[in-house]
Amino acid sequence: MSIGVQGLAKRFGGFEALKNVSLEIPSGELVALLGPSGSGKTTLLRLIAGLERPDAGTILFHGEDATRRDVRDRQVGFVFQHYALFRHMSVFENVAFGLRVRPRHLRPPEAEIRTTVTDLLKLVQLDWLADRQPSQLSGGQRQRVALARALAVKPEVLLLDEPFGALDAKVRKELRRWLRRLHEEVHVTTVFVTHDQDEAMEVADRIVVMNEGRIEQVGHPEAVYEHPATPFVYSFLGNVNLFHGRVAEGRAEVAGQEVAMPDWAAGLDRDAVAYVRTYEVELAREPNGSPAIETVLRHVRRFGPMVRLELDRVEDGQVIEAEVPRARFEELGVGRGERVYVKPRSARLFPR
Amino acid sequence: MSRAAGAAGRGAGGGGGGPPGLAAPLRRCLPGRGRAGGFWEATLAPRVLAAYRVSLVTSLVAASLNAVFGLLVAWVLVRYRFPGRRVVDALVDLPFALPTAVAGIALTTLYAENGWLGARLAPLGIKVSYTTLGITVALVFIGLPFVVRTLQPVLQDLEAEIEEAAASLGATRWQTFRRVLLPALLPALLTGFALAFARAIGEYGSVVFISGNMPMRTEIAPLLIMTKLEQFDYAGATAIAVVLLLMSFALLLCINVLQWWSRRQAA
Repeated sequence: MSIGVQGLAKRFGGFEALKNVSLEIPSGELVALLGPSGSGKTTLLRLIAGLERPDAGTILFHGEDATRRDVRDRQVGFVFQHYALFRHMSVFENVAFGLRVRPRHLRPPEAEIRTTVTDLLKLVQLDWLADRQPSQLSGGQRQRVALARALAVKPEVLLLDEPFGALDAKVRKELRRWLRRLHEEVHVTTVFVTHDQDEAMEVADRIVVMNEGRIEQVGHPEAVYEHPATPFVYSFLGNVNLFHGRVAEGRAEVAGQEVAMPDWAAGLDRDAVAYVRTYEVELAREPNGSPAIETVLRHVRRFGPMVRLELDRVEDGQVIEAEVPRARFEELGVGRGERVYVKPRSARLFPR
Repeated sequence: MSRAAGAAGRGAGGGGGGPPGLAAPLRRCLPGRGRAGGFWEATLAPRVLAAYRVSLVTSLVAASLNAVFGLLVAWVLVRYRFPGRRVVDALVDLPFALPTAVAGIALTTLYAENGWLGARLAPLGIKVSYTTLGITVALVFIGLPFVVRTLQPVLQDLEAEIEEAAASLGATRWQTFRRVLLPALLPALLTGFALAFARAIGEYGSVVFISGNMPMRTEIAPLLIMTKLEQFDYAGATAIAVVLLLMSFALLLCINVLQWWSRRQAA
């Protein structure tokens, strides 16, 4: 089912959680709402689910207005960060709950409930735990039960609120891959909330980046990463260094470097902020003639194929982060406390 | 004496440690001392039986009412934010702090036929003071905090997300309450009920003023014990106390078994 959101707004007391948000989610897509805490992503999800009422705007399911529809009638499966399993029920009964509470004439016969629940538990690979109580399961298993429970009512939309937020890193990684596969199998429109950029990048077909109650950018993970629309998206996705510069007559000056900015209107003369990703930083032991930023190496962290460096700018003490391949770092041969000259290989400028 | 019975009852509700002071009255009533006939005479007299009935029925009714309204009060205090919530929360403890005699006199004054509430109820044909209804009112007042204070932490622990999850799965408000919330609350609710009941059975101070103490009608068992003591009938008083104690034990045992069962269901 496709979801349409038009001009949605919500405030909690004096706090504007969502400001005039519009979004289209095509049927069958797996979408991530990505943003820092307080960006309104969970509010948007809860509004789509019908767990909150919007102050303004409409929500369309399949093109039909569902803004005033009750949660019970929305046909959404909702998965909570802390699972919200029914503690006094077995795993089996938790999953069966949505079928058992149906009005008598819509309730499937016991045998059918049994097969449906067993199939779902097989789908989440927990059929061997059907008789256990939730308290006897690990976090990852609990979240899979919560997912099976949400799927039991055959939802048209699956909504997940930070589904892996309470799990440890290893389980989280497993579940991400597993969610991806599950989505390929059941193919229900899925929206999940996360503050973890890796999670969004790895799992979603499309990413909606949110900040301060607004949508900053919507797009394919790679497109959002490669072409950030706003300074916020740039700094939120991946590690970046921030430099202050000036733009004049189609040329920008960033950290003493001249950068050509042909797509900026001529005659524009103003301050700008330049974002440079940590791996787009060139390092050298000597300035080699061209202007470079003089820094002192403070910290070296070696793990994985890249070496992460923390450099102090000599001029004003600003911390610059850099990532270089291991081989390049060995070749450079600098130690802590030594001088390093930094040149941004490429930069993205935003006017101030 | 009545306080002792109440305290012993509460001790049993709290975990089943041997109530202190039980041995002495029991020994006095042992048949070996040739007083068995006296024991039955003292405990089976019509006036005594009537007093047991009044005590048991009013205590059970009051504890049941407390279970229902205590749950409501606890629910509102935990789930809703409204001006004056802290004041209401503090007021719940009032029956704990107020001397029971003061509570009894205040309630009697309020519900007397010329009192604030009594005057308004009289035209409707409802008489509270000097009836079993009055006793129940006093016992409800005294027992409410037990239920509220046992349920509050459990409710706090129960996330609102559980209700949202049930709603998103299509459950109605009633189904959510009946199938999700009540089973989780039941052990605490039973504990609260048991505490309120145990307190009510032994309650003396707040009841004697509002009950009117009419033999066969509004005389409670603890009062009868006092009366016997004043007449220097120590054996009679002890006999009544022993029966009261055994009844409390039996009921609290039932409730403990129920609790054990419902905890096992919830585990």
